[in-house]
Amino acid sequence: VNTNPSRDPEQGVHRPDRREFLAAAAAAPWLHLARGRGRWLPHGDDRVLVVLELQGGNDGLNTVIPVGDARYAALRPRLAAVRNGAHALPDGTALHASLGHLHAWLRRNEGVVVHGVGYPAPDRSHFRSRDIWHTADPQHQRVQAGTTGWLGRAADLLAAAGAFVPAAALGGLELPLVLRAREVTVPSVLRPEDFQWLAADHAGPLAAGDPTRAVLAAAAEPGLHAFAAEVARTGARLAGELATALARYRPGIDYPDTGTGKALQLAARLAVSGFGTRLLHFGQSGYDTHAVQVPTHAALLRELDAALDAFRRDLAAHGALDRVVVLVHSEFGRRVAENASHGTDHGAAGPVFVLGTGLAGSVRGAVPDLQRLDDGDLVATTDFRAVYADLLRWLGVDARAVLGGEFAGAGLWPG
Amino acid sequence: MRNLLAPWQPSAQDPFDLRRCGHLLRRAGFGASLAVRRRLARAGLDAALQHVMPAASAAAPADALLDEVIAFGERARVRAFRVWVALQCVQPLRARMAVFWHDHFATSDAKVQDPRAMALQLATFDRLGLGRFDDLLLAMCRDPALLRWLDNDVNTRRQPNENFARELLELFALGRGAYTETDVREAARAFTGWHVRDGAFRFAAHLHDAGVKRVLGVEGPLGGEQVVAACVARDDSARFLATRWLQHFVHPEPEPAEIDALAACYREHDRDVGRTLAVLLRSRLFFSPRAYRSRIKSPADFVLGTVRALGGRAVPSDLARTMATLGEAWLEPPSVEGWRGERAWLSPGAWLLRCNFVADLVAGRSARLRPAASVWFADDDGPAQRAGTALALLLDGDASPAAVAAIEAVAAAHGDDAPGTAALLHAVACLPEYQLL
Repeated sequence: VNTNPSRDPEQGVHRPDRREFLAAAAAAPWLHLARGRGRWLPHGDDRVLVVLELQGGNDGLNTVIPVGDARYAALRPRLAAVRNGAHALPDGTALHASLGHLHAWLRRNEGVVVHGVGYPAPDRSHFRSRDIWHTADPQHQRVQAGTTGWLGRAADLLAAAGAFVPAAALGGLELPLVLRAREVTVPSVLRPEDFQWLAADHAGPLAAGDPTRAVLAAAAEPGLHAFAAEVARTGARLAGELATALARYRPGIDYPDTGTGKALQLAARLAVSGFGTRLLHFGQSGYDTHAVQVPTHAALLRELDAALDAFRRDLAAHGALDRVVVLVHSEFGRRVAENASHGTDHGAAGPVFVLGTGLAGSVRGAVPDLQRLDDGDLVATTDFRAVYADLLRWLGVDARAVLGGEFAGAGLWPG
Repeated sequence: MRNLLAPWQPSAQDPFDLRRCGHLLRRAGFGASLAVRRRLARAGLDAALQHVMPAASAAAPADALLDEVIAFGERARVRAFRVWVALQCVQPLRARMAVFWHDHFATSDAKVQDPRAMALQLATFDRLGLGRFDDLLLAMCRDPALLRWLDNDVNTRRQPNENFARELLELFALGRGAYTETDVREAARAFTGWHVRDGAFRFAAHLHDAGVKRVLGVEGPLGGEQVVAACVARDDSARFLATRWLQHFVHPEPEPAEIDALAACYREHDRDVGRTLAVLLRSRLFFSPRAYRSRIKSPADFVLGTVRALGGRAVPSDLARTMATLGEAWLEPPSVEGWRGERAWLSPGAWLLRCNFVADLVAGRSARLRPAASVWFADDDGPAQRAGTALALLLDGDASPAAVAAIEAVAAAHGDDAPGTAALLHAVACLPEYQLL
């Protein structure tokens, strides 16, 4: 693992308390940039990170394929069929045939593969492994009321700098752990047109002076009641404003009619509308391919590749390609040896993709070593927090405050 | 420590009132109309407990209807049927536990693609959900929908697949940390040949690995039955289930002493779910301030609870659609872990949709109430009384003085006609406290 947290890993991840956290936020040099005009962020601080999570455990070895490694073919006599039509990468690996657009971006330095990303002592439970990626805490045990996600903590820093809705979850109404914050209330957006507060006595929204609005004015008791009150107040503020902002988006690209396509179109709308939302998360599910993996996996990657293609063309048409970065990751890779059901079971480290512009080369990290396995699993060679650290720095957010330690970065961008 | 589960004794200072009655009916069922809540509050704790846990009846609530639902075999119809069962709430705790177990053994028809099998799995929760956990767990290990969902129908002697065994140990029986990776692999071997044929469980002996395995310290030519027996006998299993029940009925973050007490209670009651919950639901802990309004309403709690609180009739398929939009699509949990729940339910957009659902409901626009909610206000005189009725209907009359003042202002701004009544009930449903269970 090529990273060097400033604290002893035995001590666990340092979690800043509220005072430390706000002090860090106040000391951040980018703070003054965002003061501007209330919730509208001035130009120059409109960089957006989209995190796309492949849920269920993406089979990294059949996504970035070690085509020349004889051990790969030996351990996967049936699944190795995916080598046909795969797109060659400079380090001797190859991208799955479904990922043609991604391959084109990699060749233009608009995308990078980082091999072997994971964390120490991998857990093969979907849920714990997901929560570790979400909290950026390899020691994470269980979710409690105060548990936050790494994007949630970044959202808190952006909110302290004046952003109204610094982050949002896409594609559902549940808030994923990764976006749980300490201070700010992060919305989940399924259909932006739903963001209105209707009156009961006619079909339209509540009028500005309607007495019903006063139900949110009462002071809340601390704890869960205060949480619900804050969510409600944010909802009331968002009602109308989100639709107004999103109306500025002019669709120009046809997106595929898939869950991923819809979510990425919404991401593009938010990114180009000037609403100030800078952290977005979406989960594409279905990657838990224990049985008959080849066709399922190909279809999932095809959906991903097509949606990302529309998204990037859309951003380019809006002149926003340079200020949007996409991270594609999964909670774990899968076992190196195929199982007997023509699938793969839960494994450990896997590749991640980062899409953007000005990236440093198409491949980072060591090609997975199939000779050196840990209980049948790949060994992580890059700590996932190194990737997070690079992304946070690109966003201009204090990576140390978010990750609770200093991480060297994975060298995604030059310099 | 055991005092936590000692029976709560209502007293003159601490009576079983509308507020306590509402708490019991919301947590142990899906709430009830104001008329029923008032009657049970007067009748007392024993009568209210009898209401939520009627004497065991052999028949599941709706066997005849189930046959029809199964005949149609559509996912939307099965889902609407389950909403109907919960909405009727003939046996409140049984209906509640069916939903609890659906979350616990979370199986999605998105992969199973067999609504009949899903309907039968949910009917198994109706039937066994309040019985011995041993029986329920073994039934689930033979449940066609679950076996297909977790790929056990391709788990064979020559080609073991550990998906089912892993989730059995991690999510159904023991909890993470209570087993090793070797236990997972060995348990998978024990379940080889536990397959599905023609929509029913079938043990394929020729595909079963009859060799010696060692699971959780038990060694022998184990089959699935012995693995289930080994699981339920563990202390870890009792503590795991106790934690889940405490999270569901008491507080999202149980204390170790509470877990110990309920786990012991479960063991003493022969691992019988219904008898264990009967102790919990009349305990001091259940009626303590720590438990009261300490959870976020799920979409089912909110949608079904609102319709039931107003004593109305609504179309189950409409309610099922609203619940799905709010993130709780029964028969399609997001993963085998079930729904994340609690604070994850309540985002700003979800709050708006919840408020808008009530606006439509009380104004009779989409899902409509029969009879109309205005019948409750017939005897009221003036805005203060009308506000009081609205708060009693939806919040058992328990709201902060500031909230009461806000609701009275809404009542004063509107007339006592049907639109005014709708506006008033809508305003109460928008209160932050109405999001709490």
